[in-house]
Amino acid sequence: MTKDLRDLQDLFDNAPCGYLSADAGGRITRANQTLAAWLGYEREQLVGMRFQDLLNIAGKIYYETHFAPLLRMQGYFHEVALDLACPNGKSFPVLVNAVERRDEAGGLEFIRITVFNASDRRRYEHELLEARRMAETASTELRLLNANLESKVDEAVKERLAAEDALRQAQKMEAIGQLTGGVAHDFNNLLTVIMGGIETVERQLTELPPSRATERIERSAAMALHGAQRAATLTARLLAFSRRQALAPKPVEAGRLVTGLAELLQRTLGETITLETVTGAGLWRTLVDPGELENSLVNLAVNARDAMPDGGRLTIETSNASLDDAYVQALAEPVAPGQYVLVAVSDTGAGMDAVTLERVFEPFFTTKEVGKGTGLGLSQVYGFVRQTGGHIQIYSELGEGTTVKIYLPRFEGTAGTEEARESHPGKLHGGDETVLLVEDHDDLRAYSAGVLRELGYTVIEAGTGAEALALFGEHDEIDVLFTDVVLPDGMDGRRLADEAARRRPGLKVLFTTGYTRNAIVHNGRLDAGVNLISKPFTYVDLAVKIRRVLDMEA
Amino acid sequence: MVFSHGFGCDQNMWRFVAPAFEDRYRTILFDHIGAGGSDLSAYDVEKYATLDGYAEDIIELSRELGVKGGVFVGHSVSAMIGVLAARKAPELFDKLVLVGPSPRYIDEDGYVGGFSEAQIHELLEFLDSNYMGWSQAMAPTIMGNPDRPELGEELTNSFCATDPEIAKRFARATFLSDNRADLAGFGIRSLILQCSNDVIAPQAVGEYVHAQLPNSELVIMQASGHCPNLSAPEETVAAIQAFL
Repeated sequence: MTKDLRDLQDLFDNAPCGYLSADAGGRITRANQTLAAWLGYEREQLVGMRFQDLLNIAGKIYYETHFAPLLRMQGYFHEVALDLACPNGKSFPVLVNAVERRDEAGGLEFIRITVFNASDRRRYEHELLEARRMAETASTELRLLNANLESKVDEAVKERLAAEDALRQAQKMEAIGQLTGGVAHDFNNLLTVIMGGIETVERQLTELPPSRATERIERSAAMALHGAQRAATLTARLLAFSRRQALAPKPVEAGRLVTGLAELLQRTLGETITLETVTGAGLWRTLVDPGELENSLVNLAVNARDAMPDGGRLTIETSNASLDDAYVQALAEPVAPGQYVLVAVSDTGAGMDAVTLERVFEPFFTTKEVGKGTGLGLSQVYGFVRQTGGHIQIYSELGEGTTVKIYLPRFEGTAGTEEARESHPGKLHGGDETVLLVEDHDDLRAYSAGVLRELGYTVIEAGTGAEALALFGEHDEIDVLFTDVVLPDGMDGRRLADEAARRRPGLKVLFTTGYTRNAIVHNGRLDAGVNLISKPFTYVDLAVKIRRVLDMEA
Repeated sequence: MVFSHGFGCDQNMWRFVAPAFEDRYRTILFDHIGAGGSDLSAYDVEKYATLDGYAEDIIELSRELGVKGGVFVGHSVSAMIGVLAARKAPELFDKLVLVGPSPRYIDEDGYVGGFSEAQIHELLEFLDSNYMGWSQAMAPTIMGNPDRPELGEELTNSFCATDPEIAKRFARATFLSDNRADLAGFGIRSLILQCSNDVIAPQAVGEYVHAQLPNSELVIMQASGHCPNLSAPEETVAAIQAFL
């Protein structure tokens, strides 16, 4: 071979594309090395094969039906994307150009086929198609979103307004609660003094020979005490509403509690109203302050009585209940789903309209005339139920009646059920132990000290926590620390007690409190082992309590 | 004399054959829906899901042009479309010329169609995924071929299917068709032109069609490939003339 020929041979064989020469029937007469290498054939193997034999099935069919006719019709085809089917099973994407070469007479000499490697291009095409598809999907979604946007915005705004309403309501209740709690605390201190003073008067009276004057004084004292007691009840309600009342929850069988209360309730309701109590079988127990539950039922009975001036029926039912997720999610306040004991109080009275229903738990809200009803009853019930971890719901229809449903959490523990309330012992026991009395309210401190001394105890007084600690250091003989929880100047009763107990382990402590948002009371419950006497306390309350604390095992 | 092109082309594929009959016949050439200069907006997915839709078009077109007792020349899948049309409207054609016909492309027990089911499905899947590359080739712009000046403006984007979606569906309708039952009892005189080495309609198929059509002649041509009207126009014209 000449040098030129060798040069041309090299040019042909190693071209960057595949070259084929084919006859009129499409049979390959010459192939270059590049194409052979792409396919995995030897050059010689390709001779005699038809070009379409190198293609996959789609290529074969389309070559016969589209490209060969195209070649025939216009003498060429350009840039056709095809896939070579390699003998090793792999697919090789290519771009094919073909052109008929004719001689001067117009006869077909051969067909030149040029094959380019299209791997990159095929990949780009796929990416492009994919990107286009994703863009179309996104565009469709956007259009849908737009279409829904208005209604979505509407919905969102409604939800927002409803949530804000609920929050406002809750905040209002909270604010009122704080206000009333603060007032009640101060009242309690004063009431303790007042009641204590009157009791002292009464006691002194018993030592005087009876006369008309003493009778009159006794009557007045009794009236004054009665008034003070009612005031104490009032502040208790206010405190309950502000959820700062210390509750002493016990496992309670609500059905039996209701039955036990039935007589009192019937007396409250009068003769024109029939009382019916229904207890569910297999009633679960609930952990609740029984005294407060009884108070609540009395409150509700009073409301029912006032709603049925011409008589009617009151039904109290207890049963087991379950509050599910769907139910609790629809409520404005947080309530845990789960098992509850339901106490339902239904009357056949006048009922309430929707506007009244909305405000019915607000303290001081009342539909009764001035002077009749404080408007605190339902708010107290509400506070008590919430503090117990329960849920209260009122259903009412004008002219039909009202049902108040109280849901109290089920108690599954094994503690014993408290059936009867404690009654005071007949005789009061005093003592001669030494009491360290800490109280920043001077009058109250004087009163408490007076009571204790009368009972025979030795009393050391302090007005602040620091003072108390100093005195504690000086007096070894202190048997019990009797302190208010809320003290000024940075050391509250709890810290004082901790410090004192640290210095003298086994020291007995009695706390008192009227304002219970403080360190020792968590969610209205007493820490186990903590002794507490609530303000206002009577002479008898204090005597019994201090004696009990002193009598406890160290 | 109605000339009906097949899968993949348009009426231009008859340019070397139709003129030979112009002196004796009124020659009618048309583009199927989706091909050539046809109105793409007239495509109806349901109508053209099977070959019957295309047959309807031939009947409508022929009646509109007042064809009676004419000659139908159909290539590839159009051969079967012509049979379907003639069955429904027997007054239209007295004679049929079937170039590379096939009533069913997929093999079945005892029947050779030329393709396995897997192959046809591979074809259809491939069309779904790769048609973008092909649609460009389907619309080649003529750049002035100095060797073939006579082609000129006529051969522009119209040659070969223009709408990839329609072409895909036509491929589906064609290669999934089974019109063997329509051959039985078809009594109109027919000529079957069978090429050697036709991948699309192999010889076994031509022989099957001939066996099914009671009034048919089979001519095995020397031309190879699927389009003898393009690759061997003289042989094709001669065969048809002899038949007519």
